[in-house]
Amino acid sequence: MRFNIQFRGKEYKVEIREEEKEVKIKIGDKEFSFEREKRQSKGFSFEKRDFSKKEILAPISGIISEIFIKEGEVVEKGQKVLTLSAMKMENEIISEWRGMVKKIYVKKGDAVKKDDKLVLLE
Amino acid sequence: MIIKRYNKVTSTNEIAKKIKPSPWTVILAKEQTSGYGKEKRFWFSPRGGLYFTVVLPKLEIEDLNFLTILIAYSVAKVIKEKLNLEPFIKLPNDIYLNQKKVAGILIENVIGKEVLFSIAGIGINTNIDKFPENLQNIATSIKIETKRKVKNLELLKAILFEIKEQIEKIKT
Repeated sequence: MRFNIQFRGKEYKVEIREEEKEVKIKIGDKEFSFEREKRQSKGFSFEKRDFSKKEILAPISGIISEIFIKEGEVVEKGQKVLTLSAMKMENEIISEWRGMVKKIYVKKGDAVKKDDKLVLLE
Repeated sequence: MIIKRYNKVTSTNEIAKKIKPSPWTVILAKEQTSGYGKEKRFWFSPRGGLYFTVVLPKLEIEDLNFLTILIAYSVAKVIKEKLNLEPFIKLPNDIYLNQKKVAGILIENVIGKEVLFSIAGIGINTNIDKFPENLQNIATSIKIETKRKVKNLELLKAILFEIKEQIEKIKT
């Protein structure tokens, strides 16, 4: 499969070859091989979380595009708290708990990294 | 795979978010009155185009990084192979023909402890004869480029098949 792609204004020739055990991607004259690998564990991204705190963390890196809550407000479990845009995806972040919004660490337009604190509830 | 067909909707993504159907349900509309892309930018969606949203199966958070590109790749691959055209993917989510936008993709996720719901909204300018003046220099349709009418349902099925195959690969 051959494509021309544009990234940050620059054009690249890309060739993707799928083989039994690996996928080869050639970009320009450089070739990259990716081994097909079975995932060892699932959900590891939450291991770092401190579950004693009702803290909403960024699940992925991105830009805060909208905030739907205010400090002092009570949010319900499952309520939408903000949207995070990443890789041209809109990600609605919902609260995992019911609680009062003690602190909003971010504002609209902020760039956040995965696991950055977004909201603290109590 | 269930295809729910509508004549006119606000946007297929909006309908999918509202009714939250099960994975691999497809919301298909003949036209959208408020079709949108990234940052809620208006997507011109008159009759003739192919507008649909596919509800994706449960994904891992780390899979989201590749999702938009994977869907764009699937759409471009089908346009290339089935219609014998040379699409150009403007990373991560737009597809061009002859330097004009022909298709766009908007992924929307709902995330709590894990990814709870994911949809891929896809708009393809297939059988659109004419664009408004403000879009004529930046958008095109497959019909304008090839002078041929596209069978929307056949294209849809081929894209869905390709997306399913790609998603199943990342889930294994």
